[in-house]
Amino acid sequence: MLRLSNAISCVLVALAAAASSSASSQPFENSAIVRTIDLGGSLVHVTTTFALKALKDAVNVYTITLTEEEIFNTSWLEVNVKGKQHPLTITYSGAPAGSKFHNLDVNLETPLDAGATLNLVLETVQTHATWPWPKEAAQDEKQSLKYETSLFVLSPYNTSVQRTKLKSSSPGILSYTTPDNVQAFTLESPVTKSGATVTYGPYNNIPSSATPEFLARYQQPVVLHYNYDYPVLEVLSLKRAAEISHWGANLNIQDDIVLHNAGPQLKGHFSRLQHQTQSFYGRGAPHVLPLFTVQLPPGIRNTYYIDQIGNVSTSRLRVAPSVARGSKNTQNSIMELKPRYPIMGGWNYTYTLGWDASLGDSGSYNSKTGKYIVSVPVMTEFPGAVVNDAELSIILPEGATDVDYVAPFPALSNDVSTHVTYLDTIGRPMVTFKYKNLTNKHAKPIYVSYRVPITAHLRKPMAVATVLLTLFTFAMVARRVDLTIHKTSTKKM
Amino acid sequence: MSTAFPLPTDISSTTVANTASLLRIVAFGLISGAAIASRLFAVINFESIIHEFDPWFNYRATRVLAAKGFYEFWNWFDPTAWYPLGRVVGGTVYPGLMATSGVIYNFLHYFNLPVDIRNICVLLAPGFSALTAWATYMFTTEMKDSSAGLLAAAFIGIVPGYISRSVAGSYDNEAIAIFLLMITFYLWIKALKLGSALFGTLAAVFYFYMVAAWGGYAFITNMIPVHALVLLLMGRFSSRLYVAYCSWYAIGTLSSMQVPFVGFQPVRTSEHMGALGVFGLLQIVAFASLVRSHVSSKQFQNLLAISVVTMGVLGAGAFVVMTYKGWIAPWTGRFYSLWDTGYAKKYIPIIASVSEHQPTAWPSFFMDLQLLIFLFPAGVVMCFRDLRDEHVFVIIYAVVASYFAGVMVRLMLTLTPVVCVSAAVALSTLLDTYVDASEPDVPEERTEANGSSASDGKKTKKAGAAVGSQAGASAAAAASSAISDLVSASKSNAQSRQKGIWGADARLVILLNAIGMLVFFVFHCTWVTSNAYSSPSVVLASTNPDGSQHIIDDYREAYYWLRQNTPQDAVVMSWWDYGYQIAGMADRVTLVDNNTWNNTHIATVGKAMSSPEEVAYPILRKHDVDYVLVIFGGLLGYSGDDINKFLWMVRIAQGVWPDEIQEPNYFTPQGEYRVDDRASETMRNSLMYKMSYYRFSELYGGGNALDRVRNQQIPKVGPTLDYLEEAFTTENWIVRIYKVRKEDPLGRDLKTANAFAQGKKRKRGKPVSRRRAIV
Repeated sequence: MLRLSNAISCVLVALAAAASSSASSQPFENSAIVRTIDLGGSLVHVTTTFALKALKDAVNVYTITLTEEEIFNTSWLEVNVKGKQHPLTITYSGAPAGSKFHNLDVNLETPLDAGATLNLVLETVQTHATWPWPKEAAQDEKQSLKYETSLFVLSPYNTSVQRTKLKSSSPGILSYTTPDNVQAFTLESPVTKSGATVTYGPYNNIPSSATPEFLARYQQPVVLHYNYDYPVLEVLSLKRAAEISHWGANLNIQDDIVLHNAGPQLKGHFSRLQHQTQSFYGRGAPHVLPLFTVQLPPGIRNTYYIDQIGNVSTSRLRVAPSVARGSKNTQNSIMELKPRYPIMGGWNYTYTLGWDASLGDSGSYNSKTGKYIVSVPVMTEFPGAVVNDAELSIILPEGATDVDYVAPFPALSNDVSTHVTYLDTIGRPMVTFKYKNLTNKHAKPIYVSYRVPITAHLRKPMAVATVLLTLFTFAMVARRVDLTIHKTSTKKM
Repeated sequence: MSTAFPLPTDISSTTVANTASLLRIVAFGLISGAAIASRLFAVINFESIIHEFDPWFNYRATRVLAAKGFYEFWNWFDPTAWYPLGRVVGGTVYPGLMATSGVIYNFLHYFNLPVDIRNICVLLAPGFSALTAWATYMFTTEMKDSSAGLLAAAFIGIVPGYISRSVAGSYDNEAIAIFLLMITFYLWIKALKLGSALFGTLAAVFYFYMVAAWGGYAFITNMIPVHALVLLLMGRFSSRLYVAYCSWYAIGTLSSMQVPFVGFQPVRTSEHMGALGVFGLLQIVAFASLVRSHVSSKQFQNLLAISVVTMGVLGAGAFVVMTYKGWIAPWTGRFYSLWDTGYAKKYIPIIASVSEHQPTAWPSFFMDLQLLIFLFPAGVVMCFRDLRDEHVFVIIYAVVASYFAGVMVRLMLTLTPVVCVSAAVALSTLLDTYVDASEPDVPEERTEANGSSASDGKKTKKAGAAVGSQAGASAAAAASSAISDLVSASKSNAQSRQKGIWGADARLVILLNAIGMLVFFVFHCTWVTSNAYSSPSVVLASTNPDGSQHIIDDYREAYYWLRQNTPQDAVVMSWWDYGYQIAGMADRVTLVDNNTWNNTHIATVGKAMSSPEEVAYPILRKHDVDYVLVIFGGLLGYSGDDINKFLWMVRIAQGVWPDEIQEPNYFTPQGEYRVDDRASETMRNSLMYKMSYYRFSELYGGGNALDRVRNQQIPKVGPTLDYLEEAFTTENWIVRIYKVRKEDPLGRDLKTANAFAQGKKRKRGKPVSRRRAIV
């Protein structure tokens, strides 16, 4: 249940009291629902398009239903009107008692009149939705994963036609479930496979499916077993510390990362001979991660890639120059990270990656309000990896007051504490955010604003000066105090 | 008095003194900077990393100290070392180094300077080298003057003989011990000169610090008594000597006994008896002189002399008896190996197997000291000229340290300070002579004949000493007289003029020469430091075809793999060299490590490595070994690998199991040490050989597999392993890790089980008939 509540709080912008939604006469009907599932490793992207038609006048709330499994797995969710960038607001309207699905109410910006149509696109990213099968793979074997989803997209409205496409990145689809008991909806083959795509449907004339009766009668899991050509990466924990220094005009960001290869466990042991032969002939095993690339901000300095026992010498960095504020950032610095050893299935690797950047690149001063605003990205994008636990700490300058922040999505928890470091006297305010199951969609900035009075700026030099002055005074006094008990002439030496 | 070049005359003596003082401070600041900077090659070329082997233990212990506090560290029992015995760390280390870092760490953190403990450890040695330069400056100033002191400080700051043990990252006891050595000697000299109990006590305090920091404290424990004894024998007994020695000995010994690792050794072992003996002797002599000051009778003096001798003989006799009875521990093996360089090889192979315990080769004297090794004897001779009490000390130190440096490579470290001091004295005398602008007066009468010119010089010198203000000038005269001796000797009967140096050109030639030599010395030191002594040995460097640096990081690759992907309590067996590194970097349990206290345990590992698989397997299982780690340099040509160390494993194992392991079996009948197809059967069956070359020839895909260290062809059909399986091999194959297989669940022996798994048929013979018999 904890997991559920976490997932929900991650997914939803706001929790709202459940609103009754099951109207007897439906305000909408779906002329078509198309669900496209991009099968990946740790992340599975699901895009569902609802072609809806209003049946009543002035309706502005459309309900989307997700199954409990989907709610568990989904870490990111967005609803758009097709072709528009601006996401619509969503309200969680609860799960009907005794049911295994959850309703989300989408607030349409302009109410629809009867007969009007609209295409809504629901985009979700699922994490931990796949699992390796077989669970072990030798070094020269392929990697295959399984993914399970439910056959029908649920909807409280009648649906004319519905289809689900599962796309794999490689053509090797090993097996898929053939659904039964779907004769009511289709006369043709309930599932077709062409190349790397498996299509369930089209299924016609589906009644309101978000009902226990429908679920019991028709809903069924479908499982796809497919080859996956890239390592399945999980970041078990990501600790990011961003330290803002006004004296150095510097923003230091440091990530402590625990990386895990969540693909099939390595069967037997690692053979360097085999690994070298494979990479020599360019036939690296798909579940091995020899190196990966991350994109860092432009204009960074003093980048360090270390682990618990020192510098990792096998990495390359191409720094892009920092761009002027406001202009479109086209180029990122590219860091090729090569772990000390190739990460085989089931292996772990921890490292620390950090860099300095000019504070001017990500911060600014608003002279009207007298506040500084600094943007700190929640995370650096890991291609195709999920971040299980993330913690972001933003350390503000000593003496900062009126700390406020704007987050792109809510955190599981956040708190403000005091962090004492370089020559601090009272410590610096530190804002900490905690997250779960972050994906590449979450690599967005948090904006922190704060005020630093001039006295706080001068606190450090004053402290150092005071200490030095005390020392000098002490030395001055000590030199002039004569503690000799017995005066003797020392001239004879 | 005429001068060779014009000197300003209108400068007040205060200005001169102040300027000299300022120059000294500036020079000293630069020397400290140079000393620290030249040790940073390792950080700049590589990174801020702990070097070598022993420093990894010190670093690990320091982290425990910094994280858990001093009392936890004091009571630390480390169950992960010497599995399954464990190690009482608190009682078996010299805690001075860790305590120093801990104090610095806590100090910085008190002022909210969150410096990483690793950086403190890495930079401790360079920091202390600046302090060593200061201590050497003070010491040499006592010998001659502050200009010699500055020279000595500059020398010790950059001389490779000291840098070799104090580069950044070389976090070993020697890093702070040389500073403590010099400061203790300085305070001893100061105490002796002043007869001051304060300085004697200070010397004792630093002696205590030294005892807490380095096993080499025994050097001080014997140097100071020898010095006192020699002074006594020279008839230079004085109340100053008595006060200095007694305050040093009493406080120093009592405090040194507070270090748990030392304990009662100062009164129980032979190494410390000299100090105790001299202490007793001084009491007797002091008593005798007290009595003599009250009673004045020749007979009584004779009686006293006899009684002093008798008591000395009795004391020595008692010492022998107590040693014989076992009340005083006899000399240890390490001590014997100082006198007989062949001793260790015969009786304690574990000491002989360490490269830094080998006798020093001649070239390394030049490499470590360069110019100074030539100036060193000259400086010692200079000490004889004055022969004050402190000069006696330098002479003794020079003789003793020269001998020890010849015996063991690592003791070059104790020789280096005295070489710097002596060389500085010699060179500064030379510079004093030739920088001094005063020219001898033009002779009015003809000087005496050749024979008396030397005595003439001596007279001048005595006069100078009497005046006491122109030490430099007198030395100048003395030196010039010696040179002119030679000149006049060559043109035997020619009339010579007054001895001295005329003109600026003659001075310039010598000075430029001297400066040139110093410049070359600096270049040499920089070159040696950057090329020979700044490699962390954990990380190897090579060059890419385009000239950029390529880091070979196999050790850390393997250690980090162990740390990340094996169970926390996995037991890793390796040769003892890598024990500290495995504990420090991989954080895993080890069987043996560089604290070689248990020879049998090491021999057990040696036996497992040098036995065939079937014999080794029960040993591995009994010790719960999960992984075996070997170092193999054959692919890359890395010569410090385990096959090259293998004979030491065999020898050490042979010392404990002479019946099972015999060194000759590992050689070919021709007596060669080979790993190719001519290798002996025992060699090829040994676990070490198998683990090193397992699947090595397959890498060459049917071509000739060449071991690049030994330049030998490895047979195409490589060794097979039944009881172990390869778990991890690093990128350049330097570290290979094998997993020890568990017993077969069906109770077969693993060889049979493997054969079955590979589908090999068992040889059929009798079983068929037996089956018939049953029917």
